[in-house]
Amino acid sequence: MKRPQAQVAVLQAADADDPRRIDEVADEAGLKPETATRAAFELEDDGLLTVTEETIEHYTLTEEGTQYVFESLPEQDLYEAAVDAGADEEPVQLGQVIGASGLEGPAVDIALSNYARKGYGQIDSGEITADPDAKPGQDTEMYALEAVADDQLEEVDADALDQLERRGLLEVREETVRSVQLTDEGVTALMAGVEAAETVDQLTAELLTSGEWADVEFTEYNVAADAEDVSHGKEHILRQTANRVKDTLVGMGFQEMEGPHVDAQFWINDCLFMPQDHPARTHWDQFALERPDEIGDIPEDLVSRVRSAHREGVGPDGEGYHSPWEEDVARGLDLRGHTTSLSMRYLSGEEIGELEPPQRFFSVEKVYRNDTLDPTHLLEFFQIEGWVMAEDLSVRDLMGTFTEFYEQFGITDLEFKPHYNPYTEPSFELFGTHPETGEVVEVGNSGIFREEVLSPLGVDCDVMAWGLSLERLLMLMYGFEDIRDVHGTLCDLELLRETPLVR
Amino acid sequence: MPVVDVDPDELRYLTGHDEKDDDELKSDLFDLGLEFEGWTEDDEFQLEFAPDRLDRLSVEGVARSLRYHYGDDRGVYVPNTNSADWTIEVEDQPEDRPYVTGAVVRGLDLSDGALESLIQLQEKLHATMGRKRAKGAIGVHDLTMLKGTDLRPTDSNSSSLDLSGGQDPTEASEEPQDEMVGDATVETTGANAITYTSADPDEATFVPLESDAEMTPNEVIERHDTGQQYGDLVAEFDRVPAIYDAIGLFSFPPVINGRRTEVSEDSRDLFIELTGTDQWTIDHMCNIVCYALEARGGTIERVNVEYADNAAGEYAGRTLERPDFETRTKTVSKDRIESLLGVVLEPEQIIDYAERAGLDATRVVTDDGVAFEVEIPPYRVDVIHPLDIVDDIGRALGFNSLEPTYPDVSTVGGRHDRSVLEDAARDTLVGLGFEDLLNFHMTNEAENYERMNLPNPEAADADDTLVGLSDPVTIQEPYSEDYTILRTWALPSLMMVLENNTHRRYPQDLAEIGLAAGLDEGQNTGVSEHRTVAGALARTDASYEDAKARLQAIAEAFGKDLETPATSHPTFIDGRAADVVLDGETVGVIGEVHPKVLVEHDLELPVAAFEFRLDALE
Repeated sequence: MKRPQAQVAVLQAADADDPRRIDEVADEAGLKPETATRAAFELEDDGLLTVTEETIEHYTLTEEGTQYVFESLPEQDLYEAAVDAGADEEPVQLGQVIGASGLEGPAVDIALSNYARKGYGQIDSGEITADPDAKPGQDTEMYALEAVADDQLEEVDADALDQLERRGLLEVREETVRSVQLTDEGVTALMAGVEAAETVDQLTAELLTSGEWADVEFTEYNVAADAEDVSHGKEHILRQTANRVKDTLVGMGFQEMEGPHVDAQFWINDCLFMPQDHPARTHWDQFALERPDEIGDIPEDLVSRVRSAHREGVGPDGEGYHSPWEEDVARGLDLRGHTTSLSMRYLSGEEIGELEPPQRFFSVEKVYRNDTLDPTHLLEFFQIEGWVMAEDLSVRDLMGTFTEFYEQFGITDLEFKPHYNPYTEPSFELFGTHPETGEVVEVGNSGIFREEVLSPLGVDCDVMAWGLSLERLLMLMYGFEDIRDVHGTLCDLELLRETPLVR
Repeated sequence: MPVVDVDPDELRYLTGHDEKDDDELKSDLFDLGLEFEGWTEDDEFQLEFAPDRLDRLSVEGVARSLRYHYGDDRGVYVPNTNSADWTIEVEDQPEDRPYVTGAVVRGLDLSDGALESLIQLQEKLHATMGRKRAKGAIGVHDLTMLKGTDLRPTDSNSSSLDLSGGQDPTEASEEPQDEMVGDATVETTGANAITYTSADPDEATFVPLESDAEMTPNEVIERHDTGQQYGDLVAEFDRVPAIYDAIGLFSFPPVINGRRTEVSEDSRDLFIELTGTDQWTIDHMCNIVCYALEARGGTIERVNVEYADNAAGEYAGRTLERPDFETRTKTVSKDRIESLLGVVLEPEQIIDYAERAGLDATRVVTDDGVAFEVEIPPYRVDVIHPLDIVDDIGRALGFNSLEPTYPDVSTVGGRHDRSVLEDAARDTLVGLGFEDLLNFHMTNEAENYERMNLPNPEAADADDTLVGLSDPVTIQEPYSEDYTILRTWALPSLMMVLENNTHRRYPQDLAEIGLAAGLDEGQNTGVSEHRTVAGALARTDASYEDAKARLQAIAEAFGKDLETPATSHPTFIDGRAADVVLDGETVGVIGEVHPKVLVEHDLELPVAAFEFRLDALE
């Protein structure tokens, strides 16, 4: 029969008549003790071997114990001094005896506490007596101490050993010793002949094709051990979140927009009916460009309609703004502060031609704000932008659409707080209940585009729109506290690696 | 968003609702869109709100809105005004700040917080409508300290004031003007005059507020705190804006008033003047101030604004009577109200909601059906279109009482081709074991070029065909030197991430697909924007072959034919760099990163990398 190498070695080293200790067997077989032990148990399972266990106590003297072996026990010293002082005849002053005994420090207490216990005499009212019949020379504890020191344990009294352990003179260590002995089956198997099976590290094509795999034994691995680190590729969590948003919107019938990051203020602000002297249009809020600084063409008729909306308003009762409007300003180039510039391009027909209602469009793309970098603000972030174009849209339609959208992300109980934007009326800030914390948090800004926005673009039905920062949604979903750990070159690779995939 | 400090006790006093506790007030204010942000040091509410209702920039305006909200007031309110006793003559005023307006308010008690409230309103209006005083600035003066020039006719019809240049005020007022209030011919018409004109900034002198010494306007701009803050507004002016009375210069708008007319808690009668670049804007700022002071018990008295025939601006030769409390009217159809709110309403309901919003609505029948003529009070600067009235009606009705509906229109959704391609490429990179990154598009020249061992793109011998070496889009007056340009390639971003993560475990296989941009005169925006695919392998044994193997896999995944002819690129080790050629077109670069670049980024192991245009995978 074929058996693994270790088992063969253990079988051969074991004896049928006497149990042999496994460590001896291992030594003889050239195995590690744990390997031999494992092989022995496997052989026992197959009935070829019995494994017996016994517990052996090992005794070791402590430092104090060793000292007494060479000297004597403190109570013996005390007895000797007491007898010398005549305490075997009448009580003697204790102080005098201790002084004569040479005991000092803790040894005094040790001597006193054992003196009476062993019946060497009495200590009472500061006086000591010595029992003349006591035989300190035959103290069992001293005897046991010496026996342990000489490793002559056969005749030692167990009570004395316990007492020494209690006195802290002795340490006891238990050891389990396993021994093996061949069973009859084991003997029979050995007689029939046992061969060591070949062990292999790596399964090879040759082993598989030759059929040799059936006769080999595979080297065992420590399967519980850690393996080396492998970096796995993972889509960035913000991208995952973006894709989840995109999937949701596509499912709701929205088409994706695409357009320039560098764009004319005309598309970014003027089409949106943002007055040119609006505080948010200053250098401090938007990134104006040094180079290039002006767009080539913007449609002339659109420019004049937008100018007129700003200056005179739209419709008989429209007033427009009492703010300057210059085409030069509109031609200036910026990094877009919102992707609503894309909405303007699409709604104007510039991007993919005139649009007939109904339409739904969205984008999840980067925008740029000249803000101060902090844990919740980045200079560039992703804006979710979406709009619906249809005849006769009402604020109820707006509420229904956004309720549906946010529910996909677990944000419920949407509230619509009336708000002001220059480009929408009515406008609402959206508040929702956080799925984890239950807090009411702002989740977006929305509204129905003003006629001053839509009329110049040539749109004569209603368009409702909303915007939200993707990072805000991400932070709500994952509970991140510092967005810079995730987005940008200060990102922490470990955090990106550890963050689980979108649930 | 504007923040206004409001004393809750004053709010209780001005609304007449002593019984409201602080929490009730906060909740009522929230319903109006005024959010409680916290307490001030003086135990006042800090309220934040959207910048449309600028009439709420003071406790008086907030109280007025609350009274409408509570139903204590209904409909449009226009205070009575007394006829003009004062005139502002306008002559030789600066062309770049041609407009002025004003009002007189008498019988005020400015103690117990009223003065602070006025000062706050003034500051808040400056910050918002006034565009930091550039568009409009308010000066408030103690009327008793002004000595008007006497305009009463003596023995002739002409003015006695030299500054008026012999202009006949009656002549100017004969022309029909819609800015004028009808009863402009009352007998006491502006007998006392002050003059808005211009002054030599080195000649004229006055004692400004918070000062004891006579100063010229230029000295104010150079030495006075307020002057340093607002001096820029008139820095380009040859002659600066100035207002004189019979005694002399008393105001240097929009910078600072004179100390002589300083208002105190004891002041009872005020002269309010506003100068600016737009008459409508300053007139409406004036209306908001007057409404607030009228709510404090003041009586409004009109002021004549007489523009000289040769005065700059649109009103030369005309006399305006201010404040202009004329209401405006806008017509909005019942259909539009109903379609926008998504509910059917009775005309009575619409009229009721309008009145609760401080408007007055009258039902009219037009060719298009039932409509409402809505009257708008003169402090509402936000109503510039009939739609704004629908919003007011919706707020009065309570938007959150409306039931959401899902719009019954069907459209087909879909992704843009570019984003589909980007996702496919990203999936491939992730499948190859790359950690997908997302970095900023904004960076600076040092990161983009120098630290990558690239020359400055403007250098004479710069080879602009090198990947990464196009001219950058540059930001005007950046205020962070870290972010001055748009990146021209993405590999520098990956190198920065490696640099910031040297304490993290290796290998670090990083990739990014993102925007890169460069100047391109052929484009309408002057910028060529493209998506770029960058990958970097940082590991102890990273080699060109590792990068090439992955690039091959990507090319294969997209069915592209890949060639990598040797090239020279300063970011990479010579002899270990190649062009990335996909289907015969050079679209990127691949190689082992030059030790100079590695050391620059504090890296202690080799990096192999590639970068190419995403659209090459189309």
